[in-house]
This record gives sequence, structure tokens and C-alpha cells, in this order.
Amino acid sequence: MGMNSFKRALWVYHVNTGSCNGCDIEIVASLTPRYDLERFGVKLVGSPRHADVLLVTGPVTREMEPRVRRVYAQVPEPKVVIVVGNCGNEGTVFHESYNLIGPVDQIIPVDIYVPGCPARPEAIIDGVVKAWLKLEGATKERATSK
Amino acid sequence: MTRLGPDELAQSFEKTLGDAVIGIRKCEREVGVQRHIYVSLWVKIKPQALHDAVLHLCTLEPMPHFSVISSADLGDEIEVCYHFSLCFGQRRSATAIVLKFRLNKSNLAVPTITDLIPGAIFSEREQQEMMGLRVEGIPDDRRLFVSDSFPAGVNPWRRDETGPHDMLHILGGREGIQHE
Amino acid sequence: MSDTVHKTSYSLPIGPIHPAVHEPIRLDLTIDGEEVTAVDVDLGHVHRGIEWIGMNRNNPVQTIYLAERICGICSACHPFAYVLAVEQATGIDVPPRADYIRTIVAEIERIHSHLLWAGVAGHEIGFESVFYYVWNVREKIMDLTEMLTGNRNSKAMYMIGGVRRDFAEEQFAAIREAMAFYKVAFDELKKIFLEDRTIKMRTRGVGILSKEDALRLCVAGPTARASGVPLDVRQDHPYGAYADIGVDAITPDVLTGEVVGDVYDRIVVRLLEIKQSIEIIEAAVSSMPAGPILTEPKIAKLLALLKKAEGESVARVEAPRGENLHYVRLKSGEEPLEAWKVRAPTYANLQAVETILKGGQIADVPIAFASIDPCMSCANRAVVMDNASGTCRVLDGERLHQLSLEKTRRLQAELSGK
Repeated sequence: MGMNSFKRALWVYHVNTGSCNGCDIEIVASLTPRYDLERFGVKLVGSPRHADVLLVTGPVTREMEPRVRRVYAQVPEPKVVIVVGNCGNEGTVFHESYNLIGPVDQIIPVDIYVPGCPARPEAIIDGVVKAWLKLEGATKERATSK
Repeated sequence: MTRLGPDELAQSFEKTLGDAVIGIRKCEREVGVQRHIYVSLWVKIKPQALHDAVLHLCTLEPMPHFSVISSADLGDEIEVCYHFSLCFGQRRSATAIVLKFRLNKSNLAVPTITDLIPGAIFSEREQQEMMGLRVEGIPDDRRLFVSDSFPAGVNPWRRDETGPHDMLHILGGREGIQHE
Repeated sequence: MSDTVHKTSYSLPIGPIHPAVHEPIRLDLTIDGEEVTAVDVDLGHVHRGIEWIGMNRNNPVQTIYLAERICGICSACHPFAYVLAVEQATGIDVPPRADYIRTIVAEIERIHSHLLWAGVAGHEIGFESVFYYVWNVREKIMDLTEMLTGNRNSKAMYMIGGVRRDFAEEQFAAIREAMAFYKVAFDELKKIFLEDRTIKMRTRGVGILSKEDALRLCVAGPTARASGVPLDVRQDHPYGAYADIGVDAITPDVLTGEVVGDVYDRIVVRLLEIKQSIEIIEAAVSSMPAGPILTEPKIAKLLALLKKAEGESVARVEAPRGENLHYVRLKSGEEPLEAWKVRAPTYANLQAVETILKGGQIADVPIAFASIDPCMSCANRAVVMDNASGTCRVLDGERLHQLSLEKTRRLQAELSGK
């Protein structure tokens, strides 16, 4: 696949819309030495305005919905949205509720869906790599269309 | 402090509260390969006696361990359970006690017990917003789990017209599981 | 100190890479100079309505899998308490071998959770290398969990009437090997956490919760035990194999000879509990009863039985964070539960946050708050707000974390005599 072809670091901003933290813990585990996502140049940032990738977990509660929209608007183009975990992808165990209005793709456009409950670190890394490829493709497109 | 066994605890309730105690159910179960007997008490009381019952628990043990308030919507009535645990601290020594009473939906007032047990505040706030109980004398009236923008008068745990029926949302576009 | 009283906002991260994993939590504190003077707890940003789903949409078996996802870290204790309550309410028996398997899985979860917490605690004080070391040590228990249950998390072991999977001899061998590994790791962790002078300076006398306050506020678990309250469901209301194995609540005087009720004591209690869990697992493995693991293996028959059943019960288990209680009520003829109440331990422990943080310094807020091991998805979420008037100065979470790191560096410089 050519890991060496990644020309830039990937800056990721994470938002939790009401998840059980299972996927969030696995995301953090992906950054620890055993899985070591950081060797790909992935960096987590404290502000959506610095991010390329928006990483979302959770089935979206009513209270978190405006925040998700706001954060999405703040991430500059080109951007990619990754949803990690079954409840953000589709609802699954939280299939109906009076306080949930997800899943995430009902609120913002989603590019990559990482399945799992919780998603394994391997799956998360796979999703991040796919997001990276998509982003590189998008950057190339913008460069060639100018 | 002498540790009272479940029978002595039951007797102390009947003695102190008299006819405010409607009935006491002693629930026994066997635990483990060695089949130890573990006992819990379900004390059914008249709703007006709640504060006195908790006061009695506080005489038996300086600070009984309070866990949570649970409630069930039974139609015209709501049954409320206050879950306590007494005499903890040594192996197999504790007795779980449930104070149980029924309220008619026309009058869902209960007195606060936070004057005796400050740690009951979260549970009382939750019962107010989820089941629609009215806790008299509650020191903090705010909502706990649902945000302030959640509509007033909607009680998520109720099965009647105050339930959250208009607020339901099915995720993922699948049909929710229908139950008759 | 100063005349100006400030209102500040703290965004609580649970992740170690500070900005990485944001919980939708905010602590808004009133500070006077460096001291926290008022704290208020407000929950409600991440309420999912789980009890409603259990009472209106699921059958009791589906609710087991829903209960697992109340919290991604304590995914064994919620289904454990739930199935116990249903079994007690309906009179369904549990074979003894299942009791022992349940106990082993629950104790493995406790080790995993305490290690996770220890790593986060190290990060909050500013020891990133401690965080990476501890989470690496934790990976072995994740491997063990995967080998026993098929998944790193969401173990899906518990079923009404027993457990879903048995352990074979290779798996018992893996458990023994992992326990031998953790015995060695425990000595390392003890050295790292309890003998390091900086960690001691950052945690001794910080975030104190007195025994009286712990009792008044009905806190549970290591938070209560660190304050000297000998409360442990495995000791008081035994379930599973604990009645046979015998568990005593661990209070910090076991190691240090005194009870202060501060962050250091909470570290002591959790580390000693890791050792205790290792011993419980080994005892359970060595006296594992033979026999079946599930009273009713056919789910359709089980569901039919549950639909006819009527009854109520309450079950408590000792989750890594404290007493976890499930109350269930079943009505004959109805498939969903008639009533379901979940009381996770953080629900009670959050009530102590104000007492723990008040009077302390803002640089200590991250570690003091983390010391109650808040499992936010269990209790929904906390937003701590203040009622101060006066100038409003916003310090974001990153700034508060910076203050914590600066304090650590200051103390280290003092200790080395610069």
C-alpha cells in the first residue's frame, strides 16, 4: 500500500456524542506503544480548527447534536469524518430512545464507518488509514483542479 | 456496636413503627458451593411513615448505607422502593433492606430524607424528573440527567400520557421492536 | 488571598493524550486565587434512556447486551448485577461452575479497570511514561480477556441462569500464566506509585474525603474504602463465588498504618485490590467446581419462562468503582421488564466531588477528580458549575492540565534541591 507515500501528518479531533467509552478507550489504546498509531504521523489536536479528520463516537444525544454540527463546521476543508463504533454507525443496542437522535450520519456527512462494539484498535487504524488515503486523494484533486 | 441479624431487624421495625408496617417479606437465598444463607428484608410501609422508617434505620446504625430509590408505574399507582444496606463491615454480615410503599398518582408527594442522609439527593432529583414524584423539602430542585431543554411534564419512566411517547426516535432507519 | 473571585471552566479529558479523547464534561469552578471555593455537580449531556429501552423495547435477554454497554470499561459488572437480579426475581438457578466463571471474569475486569485508572492518574500528574508503561502492562489482561471471552471488551459472558462459555484447560493455563505475570507487575507498580517522592507529594493530603463525609454522601467502592469505610459488596452481600472464597474490604491502613482519605490512599487501595483480585482468581481456579454452566441453554425456552414470570428483586455487585445495583421487576405476560433501575457507583461517588475539590488548589483538580475514578457513561455526565458572581475568566481544560504539570515540575525541582 505504500505507507511511505503519506506526505503529511494527520491531525485528528475527537468528539464523543454519548458513547459508553468503549470505543474511546480503544482509540486511546491505538495510540499506546502496542498499536502505535502515532508512527503513521497521526496526532490528536485540541481544536477542530486545526484538524483534518473528525473522529466521532456515540449515538448522538439531543444535547450533543448542536455541538457535533458546530464542530463539523469548524473543521476546515478538505476534511474527512470517521465514525467509530456500531452505535454511531447505526444505533444497534440504542435502537430507539427519547433522548437520542443519531446515528451520526443523520447529523453530519460521514466518510468512513469503523464497525465494532467496541471497535478493535486494528479496525480503528484501518479506518484512519482509509481516511488518510481519501484525504490525500481529495488534496490531489484540489491541487490539480486549480 | 452489636450487629443485628435479619430477624432482630424485622422485629425492631414492627416494634417501633407499629401498624405503619403493612408487612415484612424475608427473602432467603443460598450462595456458593458451601450454600451460605443470605437474607434480605422487604418492608412494606404506609407512605406517610417513610421519614420515621428512615429515622429508625439511623438509630440502628449511625449512617445506614443508602443505595438508590427505584420506582415502578403500575397504572393508577406508583410503587416506590428505597434500597438500604445495614450492618456492613465484616464478612457476610450485612442485611439488605428495602422500604416499599405505594402512592396514588393523584398524590405523588414524598418527604425528603436528605436531612437524615445527605447522599440521597441525586436519587430524589432523579425520581422527580423521571417518574414525576414530588419530593417535599428537597434542597436542590434541579433536573439531574435530562437537560433543561427537555420538555416539562414529560416523565420518561411513566407508561401513561406523561411518558416520552412524542419524543421517541428510531436510530438507523430500522423499525423499532414492536410490543403489544 | 485576592479580592477577585473567578469563575472558571474545566473540560475534563479521560484520555491521556490530553486533547485526544474529550468527554462532554465540564467542571465550572469558583476559584479565589489558587483555591477552589465552590463546586456544583450537574449531569445531563449524555443521557441515552437505557432504562426506558429495557422497560419498553427489549426482552430480558436483549437487555443483558444493552446492560453491557452502559459503560465500556465496566462491561462485566452491569450484566452480572442484572442477571443476578433477574434470577433472584424468577427463581432461576445458577450452576456452581457458572458462579466461579462469573467471579473470574469480574475480577479480571477489576484488574483491567484499576490498571486503566492507574495510567490515567499518572498522566494527570504529568508522568507520561508511567501512563504508557501501565497501559502496556494492561494489554496482557486485554489479551487474556480476548482469549477467554472472544473480545477485548464487551465480554458477552453472562446469561440468565449461568454463563455462555466454559473455560478449557488451555484457558486455565493462560489465566495462571497471566496471574504470575501480574504478581511481578504488581511489585513494579507498587514501587512506581507508592515509593516515588513526587507522586507522594502530589497526592498526600490532596482531595481529602473524611470518613464522616464518605458515610453521609453514601459513596462506594475504593473511594469509600480509602476514607476508612469498610464497605465492599463482596464482603457484605456476597454473590458468585465470593461467599466461598471470602473477601475483606481493603482500607489503606493495611499498608500505611493510617487512614487519611486522600488521593494517595485511593491509589493504595486500588493497587492492593489488584493483588487481592489476583488471589481471588487463583482461589477460584484452584477450586473450580465441575458441572454445567447454564441452567437453560435454549434461549427460546428461557424467554418463554421469563415472559410467564412475575417477581421483583435487587442485586448488588462490587464493580471496580464500587457498589453497582440493579433492581428489576417482571410482570407475567409482558416481555420487557416492568421496571428496571440501574444505580452505578459513580452515581453516588459524584456527590462527593464538591467536598473533595473544595479548599484545594486548581492545579490539583485533574488528579483529585480522577481519583474517584469517574465512569462518566455509567452516571451520564457531570458538569460542575459554580454560583459565583464577579469577573469571568475562562481557563480551558488544557490550561488546567498545564497547571497540574507545572506543579509537578515545581515539586520535583524542590525535592532535588534546586
